[in-house]
Amino acid sequence: MRGRIWIGLGMACFVTCLLGSWCLPAPAEAAKKRILHFASKEPETLDPHTSVLGQVQAIVRFVYRGLTRFAIKDGKVTTTDVEPDLAESWTTSDDGTVWTFKLRKGVQFHKGFGEMTAEDVQFSFERQIRRSKGMLFAQNLEVIKEITVVDPYTVQFTLKAYDPIFLLRMVGYQHGYIVSKKAAERFGDQFGWNPVGTGPFSFDKHLPREKVILKAHEQYYFGRPQIDEVHWFDVPEDATKLLGLEKGTFDILQPEVVTADVEAQVKKIGAVLDKRGPGGQGRIYINMTKPPFDDIRVRQAYMYALDRQAIKDTLYPGALGNLAISPLPPGYFGHIPVELPEYNPDQAKKLLAEAGHPHGFTIKNYFINKSFFYPKMLTLVQEQLKKVGINVDAQLVEDATYHDNIRKNLNPFVLYGGTRIPDGDVWFGLFFYSKEMPDPATGNKGSNFSHYTGIDDLIERGRRERDQEKRATLYHEAQQRIVRDAVVIPVVDVPFLQPRNPKRVQAPFDPEYGEFAVHYTYNYPEMLKILD
Amino acid sequence: MVFQYVMRRLLLAVPMLLGAMSIVFFAMRVLPGDPCMALMGDQATRDALQDCVRDLGLERPVVVQYGAFLWKSVRLDFGQSFRQHYRVTDYILRMFPYTFTLVLASMVIALAIGLPTGILSALQRRNPLIDYSVRLIALLGLSMPVFWFGILLLILFSLHWDLFPLIGGGDMTTVLDMLTSGECVTSPEDFLAAVVDVLHHLVLPAFTLGITLAATVSRLARSAMLEVISQDYIRTARAKGLSERLVIYKHALRNMTIPLLTIIGVFMAVAMTGTVLTETVFTRPGLGKMLVDAIGARDYPLAQGAITVFTMMIMGVNLLVDILYAACDPRLVYS
Repeated sequence: MRGRIWIGLGMACFVTCLLGSWCLPAPAEAAKKRILHFASKEPETLDPHTSVLGQVQAIVRFVYRGLTRFAIKDGKVTTTDVEPDLAESWTTSDDGTVWTFKLRKGVQFHKGFGEMTAEDVQFSFERQIRRSKGMLFAQNLEVIKEITVVDPYTVQFTLKAYDPIFLLRMVGYQHGYIVSKKAAERFGDQFGWNPVGTGPFSFDKHLPREKVILKAHEQYYFGRPQIDEVHWFDVPEDATKLLGLEKGTFDILQPEVVTADVEAQVKKIGAVLDKRGPGGQGRIYINMTKPPFDDIRVRQAYMYALDRQAIKDTLYPGALGNLAISPLPPGYFGHIPVELPEYNPDQAKKLLAEAGHPHGFTIKNYFINKSFFYPKMLTLVQEQLKKVGINVDAQLVEDATYHDNIRKNLNPFVLYGGTRIPDGDVWFGLFFYSKEMPDPATGNKGSNFSHYTGIDDLIERGRRERDQEKRATLYHEAQQRIVRDAVVIPVVDVPFLQPRNPKRVQAPFDPEYGEFAVHYTYNYPEMLKILD
Repeated sequence: MVFQYVMRRLLLAVPMLLGAMSIVFFAMRVLPGDPCMALMGDQATRDALQDCVRDLGLERPVVVQYGAFLWKSVRLDFGQSFRQHYRVTDYILRMFPYTFTLVLASMVIALAIGLPTGILSALQRRNPLIDYSVRLIALLGLSMPVFWFGILLLILFSLHWDLFPLIGGGDMTTVLDMLTSGECVTSPEDFLAAVVDVLHHLVLPAFTLGITLAATVSRLARSAMLEVISQDYIRTARAKGLSERLVIYKHALRNMTIPLLTIIGVFMAVAMTGTVLTETVFTRPGLGKMLVDAIGARDYPLAQGAITVFTMMIMGVNLLVDILYAACDPRLVYS
């Protein structure tokens, strides 16, 4: 039949394509270059001041640096100590409101944009403080009153008030990165894909929805990195990332989430998991403005009703997560472990009865429908609360809608995660400060979802306190008060995990919590080495 | 005559396009979830949100935004993407070739497999072995999810036998640059290498999409053929003693052209929706996945631009099919 001929033709086409592409010789020069294949997601921009996406924050660490950096001590990257980076040294006035930074001399920007000077430093912060188009981090720099260029290598910051974490703010992270003034002014709103910084790698090419190519910065001031090129692939599916790791297409992965299955597969193919703490904390804020949660007994009942250990073991078994031990995660300045209520459903029922809800009640709550964490967490929380008589009428919505709704104060309890500058001041200031209460009436869209006001005095005192030990003591008390008032339930601390092929790439620090994960990747990517 | 017809069709296309653009414009805004909140997620603060609304031009009244959108679209300017730091038109132009080649290649594969099997199955419908096996395979193809089949192909042909790349769409930029600059003539070897690279990346995705769609084509072709061979002229042809070969090749197949064109027209729309999953599984750049991401991120300009382009593509194909109808069947008159 003619039909068979057609099928035959189709097969022939297929075989021809197959052979043709198979016989194609591999490009010879690729073998010589040391290329790091990084499977993540596509960054939307390489302008460090304009995006909060994890993959952007990870890749800009390759391209930019700040005045200070997280200190390396005893072979580990610390979370709260800083050391000089682009700045060589600094002094501060007696009242702590004037900081003078001496810049490292001879630091070269990428692509011949010249030496970094005080003007670039001033520009990098002022473009954010001025709230130029697209800038997101002005809030982190609110404390700055004025920035003056003293000479090309000296820059002076005058603060509105003493700021205990000013040096931490100057770390190369989000708002802290220094960009080239000349390049930013030349490229305008196209700077995002014409980025120029002082970091170990410079931007080379962007193939949208495929990859970003970075090249070693020959004049990097700490020495040119060993790696010649970084190929940053846009791989949305975790399954594909793992296939690529096994095949050798990728050397390092940034999966959306590392489950027990992923961990098992990573081990099976002989890769390691680079584990970095403290990572994100999954926690539940109980909204005090939503009755019956205005009653502390009901909030306590909620806490007793939750089996945190069971949740942790289900979602993050083994070393994939740690049971949370404080509303301020370990690794943040001021953290101490505090005693959290043990799982006790009988106690929960008793408290509910005392509060006048012997038969329980029903609440309507929004959740994110598509994510690893939220739907599973919802099921567990829903089941556990049901046992004590609290019925959760769950409304599943998209990510964007959820974030919108919780800031419209629609949720009786709020599930939340995230990483911030690792200091109690920032953490409490964002999540437990009365000025950050989301309220549709005032239009405030802060993230104090509990509407807690109990530690305002401690936060404000901490901002004036110049003795670090005393400041830590204030935060210790804050953590105890938060737990006493039952406004938040810290559930699990999830470290950031990056599967890495150890036969291809050597990482500088211990895979077991050798560094902090504020950058969503290696703090010092220039120290990664390709093994030949 | 044809010219007049095309002009009239193009004029008619304007309100349709306008309708599609209006629907996407308002649907995006009715959708709960704020683009700025989507941009900033858990790091949104009040001030940053205010700045963001101002930067994206969302503080303007919706009517003003709508007017600006329509007016600029006339010049194919869809504005700046909220999320990707690119102009929407540039971004779509870079994605378009990937999706276009994928749709084209999978169409060729689907027709090459689906048509013969469908026709065979129709002609041999009294031979249960052939008819049922073809229908069974078609049913399998129909119920096989693209993402499952794609991963299967990847594991076998990429991971296991290392014949095809795992991800990406090949060096499309080089191919296009060489085509426009004329380098494809001056250095044909480099050009050929780039083309082969693109094809190399295209094989697995095109097969995945092509085979799942071949099932549909096969079913459609089968019923089209069945209808044709039950016509009077076929009976007449047989009655006057023509050989079965001649009946099929000369009379039946030629008369199948019209339903075939209809299949291709419908197919284009189906294939374009199919690209979303294929592009995701094979980590291939393209319009389908881009559109889904744009909607998820509430990237209004990008979603609007993509929908407009999709609509234009489908309308273009349908117009082409209509014109070809008359070329194939002289009895049809444009009116």
